[in-house]
Amino acid sequence: MSEIITQLAKYAEEAGTTVNSLRKEESLVEVSQDHLKAFLTHLVNDLQVTHLMTITGLDLGQNLGITYNFSKEREIINVRTIVPKTNPKALSIVDIVPGAILYEMELQDMFGLEFIGNPWKNQKLLLPDEWPADLPPPLLKISKADQIRRRLGLEAAKP
Amino acid sequence: MSTPPEKERKEASAGLMEYSTESLVPFGPIHPALKEPEYFKLVLEGERIVQVIPRIGYVHRGLEKAAESRPWIQNMYMFERTCGICSFVHSLCYSQAVEELTLYQVPRRAKYIRTIIAEMERIHSHLLWVGLMGHWAGFDTLFMWVWNDREVVLDLVEAIAGNRVHKSMNTLCGVRRDMPENMEERIVERMKFLTDRARYYREIIDTEETMLARTENIGRVSADTAEKLCAVGPMARYVGLKYDVRLNDPYAAYDEVPLDVITTTQGDVHALLRLRLDELIASANMVSYAVKNLPDGPIRVKIPPIIPAGEHVSHCEAPRGEIFYYAKSTGGRTPDRIKSRQPTMANIPTALEMLKGQTLADIPIVLTAIDPCFGCMDRMSFYDTETNKKWTWSGEELRQYGINYYFPERSKKKQHLAEALRSQTNRCLKEGF
Amino acid sequence: MPQRRAGAAIPEMFRFMLEKPTTEAYPFKPIQLPERFRGKLDIDPAKCTGCQVCSLVCPATVITMVDLGTRKVGDRELKVRRPLFDLASCILCGECVDNCAFNALQLTKQFETATPNKADLLMNKAIVK
Repeated sequence: MSEIITQLAKYAEEAGTTVNSLRKEESLVEVSQDHLKAFLTHLVNDLQVTHLMTITGLDLGQNLGITYNFSKEREIINVRTIVPKTNPKALSIVDIVPGAILYEMELQDMFGLEFIGNPWKNQKLLLPDEWPADLPPPLLKISKADQIRRRLGLEAAKP
Repeated sequence: MSTPPEKERKEASAGLMEYSTESLVPFGPIHPALKEPEYFKLVLEGERIVQVIPRIGYVHRGLEKAAESRPWIQNMYMFERTCGICSFVHSLCYSQAVEELTLYQVPRRAKYIRTIIAEMERIHSHLLWVGLMGHWAGFDTLFMWVWNDREVVLDLVEAIAGNRVHKSMNTLCGVRRDMPENMEERIVERMKFLTDRARYYREIIDTEETMLARTENIGRVSADTAEKLCAVGPMARYVGLKYDVRLNDPYAAYDEVPLDVITTTQGDVHALLRLRLDELIASANMVSYAVKNLPDGPIRVKIPPIIPAGEHVSHCEAPRGEIFYYAKSTGGRTPDRIKSRQPTMANIPTALEMLKGQTLADIPIVLTAIDPCFGCMDRMSFYDTETNKKWTWSGEELRQYGINYYFPERSKKKQHLAEALRSQTNRCLKEGF
Repeated sequence: MPQRRAGAAIPEMFRFMLEKPTTEAYPFKPIQLPERFRGKLDIDPAKCTGCQVCSLVCPATVITMVDLGTRKVGDRELKVRRPLFDLASCILCGECVDNCAFNALQLTKQFETATPNKADLLMNKAIVK
């Protein structure tokens, strides 16, 4: 295990979680929303893992998963937090990593999440302004392509 | 669009990318002269830009959603068509993300062929970009010459892959076509030709007064800001950060082929020009080396159409920066989730920081300097904060304005257009449209 | 340190004026195509057996299998199917060519396929006897 992962494992134990190794140089850590900010501050400021590649959203049935993908030289460190679909609010990390602003906006549009603390919280990035409020966000499993096409008034593609 | 209260904004954004309280006029990104639509709102004070707010997503095709209902191999052809100029790297990164979920290894010869095609694509992309910089600076001759040399590399790619742009060479666990016989000498000779041309263009951009005036000291951003905003590719390397996926996390054959990562601390658009031309020369050397030392062996391994369950992240170095792919499988014929992040999205916050403090005439140069893959700015509406006046310009008018701003006495031929633009600007500043 | 000057590219401009132009003379002269060029798809109906593998691997859903009746093999009735190609959507990837076990498909060098009539792009050579 590399040095970063050993240090991370020590810190993760204090946060009550463990570091899972997915592959030789890729690891996944699951943290709860309460510990997320402290964990990421430690990762970015103390361990100098500053490059956030992107933020990936997942539809996990009952919950939504938010994965922060960091990279440092040969290591890829994924930090995942789970948010229930009934209350899709998450904390924004723009004060720790300012470059996360557009990734969070994309998740807001595509999964219906709400990032508290994001300065452009109410602005749509990818979806059109006339997106109907009762249509589910596109990347959830219950949302279907022909339903979106019908509601937005677009013609059906080749049958 | 409502603005959050002052205190919350300042805390949240840590001093970067702050909101202004001006109200802005929305406008449409559709324009007859467009390459790809996008939308920038500018807040100006006189000639200086104070704030830029982007809106993207006009060519959002829903590829991530469409990928969930197609088999694994068919997704590769779909993701290859995300972009024309970096299409091979998209299929390469997708293949790498999926191959790690299987237990099969990619043969060594396939890795070398992937490296050769990826570096040829980088040469093509950088030549295209240098030509575009010449076009937006008013130096159309450079544009024509560079795009003439681009045909050399496109002919080589066509001889190997059958098509100039969407190469379709990649497949899961290998490449589909082998290198043709007797191509080695031709490739090495053409790479030498391109190296000589790149050295000549480098000399031109260092001495020609037009390019120096348009690109020196324009588009500066500090290394600290670029690191905080997670810039990738040449946008990180031009301020001195050594971020290159080929060096930090080698994939394909990059641990065996000699790699030359170029960084500079000059920090302006002129440095970007030099950086990309140097990268072109380094790529040509890599192609020559790889072609001469191609190992023998099979080029692909046949794998079953069902990929085992798991998730994997993979990243590659596209000509524009770092490409990211995430693949999650639940053991079926179709994926559960594929996420792809293009380098231009990672570079937009840095580009917005580059624009602050620049003049109106520098907008085409700065926005092209980040090598955007979603096109160039075309229809812009301007809002002058002091006089509360609004007006609109097309892309060609903006480009001509930039040329005339820097070299008013040179454009004798288009004197009437320059005069018309100047009088139009003055009139707008006085009365508005 | 190289000298800053205007017109640094003028010597090269003279060199270009003396060379012949690089523009291809197409369509007044035929164009040189490389050997691996991927043009319009073609099928050899004699070799096609209707195994429908091409229809399953096509990424662009170009190929549909059409039922043409049945035939007797021993004491069984087997369905006879042949492919119908909608070449308007074909992306010329060559997956069908690579996967056909009977070498019935190939990508020709024909690229002048534009037509005002969309029905011209329906290739039914395998169906029409």
